[in-house]
Amino acid sequence: MNTATTAALSVAPAITVERRLAGDLAIWIFILAELLAFGVFFAAYAFTRANHIELFDAEQVALHRDAGALNTVLLLTASYFVVRAVQAAERLASAASARWLLAAMVCGAGFVIVKLFEYSAAFEQGVSLSSSPFHMFYLSLTFFHFMHVILGMVILGAMWFGARAGRYRPGDMNGLETGAAYWHMVDLVWLILFPLVYVIH
Amino acid sequence: MSGIFSKAMARNIFYGGTVFFFLLFLALVYDTEQVLPTRDNREALTPEVIAGKKIWETRNCIGCHSLLGEGAYFAPELGNVYPRRGPEFIKAWMMSQPTGAPGRRQMPNFHLSDTELDNLVAFLKYTSGINTSNWPPNIEG
Amino acid sequence: MQYKSQAVAMPYFIAAIGLFVGQIIFGLIMGMQYVVGDFLFPEIPFNVARMVHTNLLIVWLLFGFMGAAYYMVPEESETELYSTKLAWILFWVFLAAGALTILGYLFVPYATLAEMTGNDLLATMGREFLEQPLPTKIGIVVVALAFLFNITMTVLKGRKTAISVVLLLGLWGLAIFFLFSFYNPHNLVRDKLYWWFVVHLWVEGVWELILAALLAFVLIKVTGVDREVIEKWLYVIITLALVTGIIGTGHHFFWIGTPEYWQWWGSIFSALEPVPFFAMTVFAFNMVNRRKREHPNKAAVLWALGTGVMAFLGAGVWGFLHTLAPVNYYTHGSQITAAHGHMAFYGAYVMVVITIISYAMPLLRGRAANSEKAQVLEMWSFWLMTIAMVFITLFLTAAGILQVWLQRVSDTPMSFMAAQDQVVLFYWMREWAGVVFFIGLLTYLASFFVKGETKAVAN
Repeated sequence: MNTATTAALSVAPAITVERRLAGDLAIWIFILAELLAFGVFFAAYAFTRANHIELFDAEQVALHRDAGALNTVLLLTASYFVVRAVQAAERLASAASARWLLAAMVCGAGFVIVKLFEYSAAFEQGVSLSSSPFHMFYLSLTFFHFMHVILGMVILGAMWFGARAGRYRPGDMNGLETGAAYWHMVDLVWLILFPLVYVIH
Repeated sequence: MSGIFSKAMARNIFYGGTVFFFLLFLALVYDTEQVLPTRDNREALTPEVIAGKKIWETRNCIGCHSLLGEGAYFAPELGNVYPRRGPEFIKAWMMSQPTGAPGRRQMPNFHLSDTELDNLVAFLKYTSGINTSNWPPNIEG
Repeated sequence: MQYKSQAVAMPYFIAAIGLFVGQIIFGLIMGMQYVVGDFLFPEIPFNVARMVHTNLLIVWLLFGFMGAAYYMVPEESETELYSTKLAWILFWVFLAAGALTILGYLFVPYATLAEMTGNDLLATMGREFLEQPLPTKIGIVVVALAFLFNITMTVLKGRKTAISVVLLLGLWGLAIFFLFSFYNPHNLVRDKLYWWFVVHLWVEGVWELILAALLAFVLIKVTGVDREVIEKWLYVIITLALVTGIIGTGHHFFWIGTPEYWQWWGSIFSALEPVPFFAMTVFAFNMVNRRKREHPNKAAVLWALGTGVMAFLGAGVWGFLHTLAPVNYYTHGSQITAAHGHMAFYGAYVMVVITIISYAMPLLRGRAANSEKAQVLEMWSFWLMTIAMVFITLFLTAAGILQVWLQRVSDTPMSFMAAQDQVVLFYWMREWAGVVFFIGLLTYLASFFVKGETKAVAN
């Protein structure tokens, strides 16, 4: 609320130069809520795993860890491209910014495709939300995140349009930075999810 | 620290977030529908059970009792009354109402025919066969 | 009152309060039947009293929402209502349908009522809160659609504000989700699954949009805080409400035959449901603290702040108490549920409707605020009703904990009725708290008739 007050009441724009919150406060509230939901879900996973360690370990081995690793690379690359897109817009290079966003979307699409292959293989083996506690968490967490990637791509698409229209420039970066913050959140969640569900024994 | 907090962005996040979570909810409901045949005892849905459900509804039983824990809390849970009391007790109980015991909670007599009583019992038997993840904790409901 | 057509809100508010009185009388009858089982039997069996109690609640809240919309939308849209005449017709139709339905409950055996009203054509009756006969249900849909048409047309021809858009979304959602009340599959599990599409997605979904819009409107008016500030927080709060509340539906899918993963999904998301209510409380207090004017209607400010606090306690805290699956396994369908239901409905919906009535009624009667004396009386009614409701909730919670212990946790579980006999003391105390609530309600009624010096409307 303080941030809002300062933004609304600030008379001297000079103050805002140092320590500015990148992106809209509204998205940060949303991001915090999302991280809270994921956080509680992760805690529930850890708690249940502690009670079924052998089952979790056995079923974890059956997951496609390579696909998960590939997806980690794809998401990290996408995040890097988004950073480059923001930097390009800061330099007034709208066209370059749009290209970086397109590259990020390609990486996101790669993630979605890899994930779909992973899911179809899992479904063939009878993995479902009801087949075991581990499968419940594996599918719930990855699918919840998967939907975030898709939403993230929709947002990247909107930003791509904005960048092509030259909407973002220094001093008017709110839309771009807000979307970027959301995408980084999606990436961050995966960086916790992947080791937790796919790797840690 | 300062920053921007715009109404337009708050609005976009509201619409985006709402659509997102509603789609997620629909996806889960879709999966639920796929799993239900293994849990909801639908193979026991005979014409008697269906007729019994209608008697349950048109006598407004839910106005005093709970069924799988939902309803009013004035009278006992009936989702598991079939294993708790058995068919004959249930019918005899229905016919002997109201008890008229002074100061005690009273249940109306619904003047059900023998067929209607059998249908109601069939419905309660079907209900007790639903997989409720071991709820209630014990037979008392 | 800036627009003539806003006046049509007045009969809606009066009807709402009148039905509220009826609701509480039937609540007292049921409370009595909990301790003296054969009270008013066989004239008014418990199930009939309960049906009247809950249906009156729903109907009077709907009257309140509609009245609020008729009052707020012209002012928000800066234009007269699309059709005042339609609003008047709908008022009488809805009131007549509501009254006939209640009389039907009271004077016709329910099975006969079902037969008379075409339940054999489409069986929708006899499910909790959706007991209304088919013609009433259809009537609700028709009235809701005509009402929405009227309000939507008004918004379309005037200024579109965040408040009116959110209000409209909530009202449209209300009408749309009510359609699930016509779906009653033979399969009990699926019946219950979609029944919650009405009940949960109403009270923990679209109604929260209405609640937030009403509260935001009153806060703008009484605090004078910039509309921009209030509206963006409105969006943030309703985002949090729906993000947690939609998947939070899962907390009803623990033990009704639905798959077990709902125990996780439902627990996790409903555990976050207190967050939006907490945000709403902080928001209301913040706006009042940053007020730019001293509004003469102090009673309305009190109701607005009370809504925040009591909604947080009733819906947030009392909801959280029993929402986690391992806890709910023991508390499901006990007096704990009743405790939560009472405080949540009072804190969120009853209080927000009274807030808007408290703000709008003096203006509809041609003054900025009621006299000092009337306001003092109204504030007394606030404290009487609110504190009585806190005690009703506490006593029901105590009864519920004891019930759960005796009937479900104990190694030698008692039967339902044996456990009920053990908690009768708490039911007596609940009934007395109910009497105090009723006195508070009478005080509230009296506050409308207190005369005294009033200020004219400022502009």
